[in-house]
Amino acid sequence: MTQAAALLQNLAAAGFVALGVAIAYRWYRERGRAQAMLALALITLAVVAALGRVGDPQHPLAVLSLVEIVGFLLSGYFVLLFRNEFIPLGSFAFQAANLLLAISIVVGILDVTALAHADPRVATVIVLEIIGAWAIFTGEPIARFWLASRNLPAVQRARMRFLSFGFAVLIAILFISVLGGSALRSPTAIVVTELVVLMVIPAIYVSFAPPALLRRIWRMGEEDELRAAIQDLLIFSPTREVLAERAATWAMRLLGGNAAFITDPDGKFIANAGIDPARAAHLMAEQRKNSLGAPDRVVTVPLPLTDGQGSLGVVAGPFSPVFGTEEITQLRAYASSVSAGLERARVTERMAAIESNKTQFLNLASHELRGPVTVIRGYVSMLEGGLLGHLNDRGRKAAAMMSAKASEMNELIDEMVEAARLEDGGLTLKLVESDLRDIARSATFSVAPLVDSRHQVDLDLPERRVRVKVDPDRTKTIIANLLSNAIKYSPNGGPITCHVRARAGIARVAVSDHGLGIAPQNLHMLFTRFGRVITPETEHLKGTGLGLFLGRQLARLQGGDITVISVPGKGSTFTLHLPSASAAEASANGAASSAHGAAGEERVHTNRRSTD
Amino acid sequence: MPAGPLDAGIVARWQLSGGGSPAHVLMIEDDATIADMYRVQLEHDGYRVTIATTAELGFTTMTANPPDIVLLDLLLPDRSGFEVLASLNERFPSHPPVVILSNYGEPAMIDRGRSLGAVEYLVKSRVTPADISGQIPTWIELGRRGGQGES
Repeated sequence: MTQAAALLQNLAAAGFVALGVAIAYRWYRERGRAQAMLALALITLAVVAALGRVGDPQHPLAVLSLVEIVGFLLSGYFVLLFRNEFIPLGSFAFQAANLLLAISIVVGILDVTALAHADPRVATVIVLEIIGAWAIFTGEPIARFWLASRNLPAVQRARMRFLSFGFAVLIAILFISVLGGSALRSPTAIVVTELVVLMVIPAIYVSFAPPALLRRIWRMGEEDELRAAIQDLLIFSPTREVLAERAATWAMRLLGGNAAFITDPDGKFIANAGIDPARAAHLMAEQRKNSLGAPDRVVTVPLPLTDGQGSLGVVAGPFSPVFGTEEITQLRAYASSVSAGLERARVTERMAAIESNKTQFLNLASHELRGPVTVIRGYVSMLEGGLLGHLNDRGRKAAAMMSAKASEMNELIDEMVEAARLEDGGLTLKLVESDLRDIARSATFSVAPLVDSRHQVDLDLPERRVRVKVDPDRTKTIIANLLSNAIKYSPNGGPITCHVRARAGIARVAVSDHGLGIAPQNLHMLFTRFGRVITPETEHLKGTGLGLFLGRQLARLQGGDITVISVPGKGSTFTLHLPSASAAEASANGAASSAHGAAGEERVHTNRRSTD
Repeated sequence: MPAGPLDAGIVARWQLSGGGSPAHVLMIEDDATIADMYRVQLEHDGYRVTIATTAELGFTTMTANPPDIVLLDLLLPDRSGFEVLASLNERFPSHPPVVILSNYGEPAMIDRGRSLGAVEYLVKSRVTPADISGQIPTWIELGRRGGQGES
């Protein structure tokens, strides 16, 4: 057992030396002031551990003992300095720590020189003082780190916890072995203690330089969350600024920084999280000045954007100890997502700006166009009404025509605005439960001014109510448009019928004419925007080509459609299909509908004779 | 004043037939062509018409010569018609009915006008002066019944 204990003691010392060497090497690879402090702490600890195994424990060399004691104290002091790198100590605390170090070193010197071989109790007190000082130097930082680790990203949290845990165990072992007395000097106790120490060594090493595998394991839970967040970021951020703001906040969380910022290629700050732009600019400038050997307070990665290279930066907080290559790689990967997101937001914003300009223009244009129409239409109506003096027949005819043209102009303006609204999604339907017969009736009346002696519009309505849930005004416009087309494209006259029926849950309004008809190869153009079918017979007819486009879009928005059957030279039938209000609802309102339908089938003839 | 349930036109006809002074229409409209056109129609129909080309002049008329109905344009040189309507609500809590006559047909603007208490919102180019003149008695009656704010 004694042999095993000695072996383990040697192993533990060797472990510490290995730890010291490994850490020295890591530090050589990735230098930084904070890491230097931790490296010094661990290396001195390794030296102390090694010295403890050198020479005869029964007759220690005074010089070696002194080096051991001072090294031991310094290893603790460096841990405190390591903490000081992240959370600067107050000047009072710092002075107190220095004083404690000085006193402890003096006590150590006294122990080795004047008080050597003194009373064992005095020796215990001296050892307790030295270990106590070491415990204070390391204990305060590890408690701090443990508490602070709660809000850090997974990797840093794990690293800080391992560090805290390692040092806490060391403190515990030291106290126990000093205070435990002879019981703990038994070989068995030594074996146990050294085994624990051997376990602590990897924990401390891992906290200083965690292997990639471990980091990946630590990060797993967090990565899912991050992936979801990036997705949200890319898809749902409404504007570039909001996206940048969120991206910065996530970058901060990702690295456990205290602040983060995003700049445009021209150096303008798009987003700042936890830092004001002036301070961020200052930090960036400072980092650029001495990029080598500077403390990694800020880590920035390029943000490739179409108009140049912006940057994404994260500023270290008091508890984000190390920004190493790992973090930079992580931030780089993240930056590419952010770039993509920012580019997408820019395109979306530009498109939105163009759309909104277009809509604004159309609103303005429609307002400006309506002004003159108001006056023309107003005065023409007054002329027609005889308010401005008596008109002869020819004058009245001209006034009637001007009135019709002014109305047409109004409709064109309305169509234009409606099409614009439809495109930018600003169109809201006011769905009301209505009787399609009423809508068809008012549509027929509204086209009455277009009807001349050659035309006749027959309205064929069913006996029962045709219940639909639609926007009545817009549905009226659709039907009126179908009727006015029927009139327009049957220049040789002939009856036009507007036939309303409901069957199998679908309400239909069929508008038939005996006009020019449309060639099959041209049918596909009918419902496209500005898609007018121009033939020798129709080229003199005016129109925007918006009517059917709008009609079909509006019908579809209401759950319906417009279809067409046409025979060139024979005429066309355009049918508006709309979903009926549900049958169940219909029976609930059965009484009302039958009362309404009592008037019987209704046929309205709109036949306006010309004035001559 | 005639009592009992009234046909909307009675008030105006009663006033026009000498039962009182003719109904006074205040038109707040900065476009002189439109204002003149309306004056011709309205005066022909027997109304007394005051045209205010700015919101400020409109307020002056409200105090000096209270109208029976206000026809309000939205685009005025000194402020928007909505602001005029809001200050009317504030300064003259029992102001006569207000009809908005504008060439803006945006549903959002129509809703805003209605919510501010306009009895009607009409797009100028879609109505004729005769339409308006014919409706004025109805609107005045609506206002008398305390119907302003509703439509």
